[in-house]
Amino acid sequence: MAQFDHLAEKVLRGFASRTSRRSLFSVLGGFLAGAAALPLLPVARAAEGGGRSAEDSKSEIEAPQFSGNPQDPGDRTKCDYWRYCAIDGSLCSCYGGSVITCPPDTEMSPITWIGTCRNPADERNYIISYNDCCGGVAWGRCACQNNRGDRPLVRPQTNNEITWCFGTKSQSYTCTVAIILGTAIEQK
Amino acid sequence: MMYGAAAQTPAGAASAGAATAGAAPAGVGDARRAWQNWTMNCQGCHRVDGTGSAGTAPSLAGTVAKFVRVPGGREYLGRVPGVATSPLSNADLAEVVNWMLWRFDQQHLPSTFQPFTAAEIGQLRAQPLRLEASRMRNDLLRKADESGPP
Repeated sequence: MAQFDHLAEKVLRGFASRTSRRSLFSVLGGFLAGAAALPLLPVARAAEGGGRSAEDSKSEIEAPQFSGNPQDPGDRTKCDYWRYCAIDGSLCSCYGGSVITCPPDTEMSPITWIGTCRNPADERNYIISYNDCCGGVAWGRCACQNNRGDRPLVRPQTNNEITWCFGTKSQSYTCTVAIILGTAIEQK
Repeated sequence: MMYGAAAQTPAGAASAGAATAGAAPAGVGDARRAWQNWTMNCQGCHRVDGTGSAGTAPSLAGTVAKFVRVPGGREYLGRVPGVATSPLSNADLAEVVNWMLWRFDQQHLPSTFQPFTAAEIGQLRAQPLRLEASRMRNDLLRKADESGPP
């Protein structure tokens, strides 16, 4: 029994010599503070959002968009979609908008650039209005520069590099939509 | 030939139908062609309803036909920069001007109005107005308003 007491005393004295009450409180406090902070980390918030991460949202926005109409073929999130033949900008289809609607929290400019594009489905030319959507954040996503019919900047009304965010609250460019105005008649 | 230019929307297809329906006005051989030339070359700054853009292009709606009611106004319409520097041919340009008068300001168009011809437009556009255009516009509109209702 005396040997057991001696051994216990030796172990406890050794532990006490290597530690202190202050370090114990420090470690314990750090653990408690860390535990409290865990729910605030981004991972926890993503989990609360139904498990959707930023990558999930990006994939969803850039998901292919088809009309479902064989007379209007093509993926509207791709630069080779037929209506984008004379566009110079970013595609609103990749920003939470669509080929004809602006993304949330942006405003469609009333002044636009107009071009004509040939629909591969019926081989007819259509007059397309390229309306800029203004006031949002431009991420540089889905940039598309086709420029059919574009003319040098010395003729500003026929140059599509100009940002047409005039008549809107914000002159900040976000993206561009492509709206069909009608079929075009061929001119000599 | 297809091309592109600044223009204004939306609902252009609907307005195209409205703007080209019915009998073509005097001096307009093809209202659909006139609408298309307007859309592709003028609408960008003047907007689909002709109300214009502040600081860029003045309003045509309810105004443009006043010019042909006062001396010098007809010449102004053929020499104003947006008309004189248009890439359209004289014939197409005369047709668009005649169409604009009918489309945007029938109420002020005199019954005695003689449509613009290609030759007349060609002669006028050879002398384009520059900085004096704005002052001339204001003077002509003041005279038109002083002359009373149509």
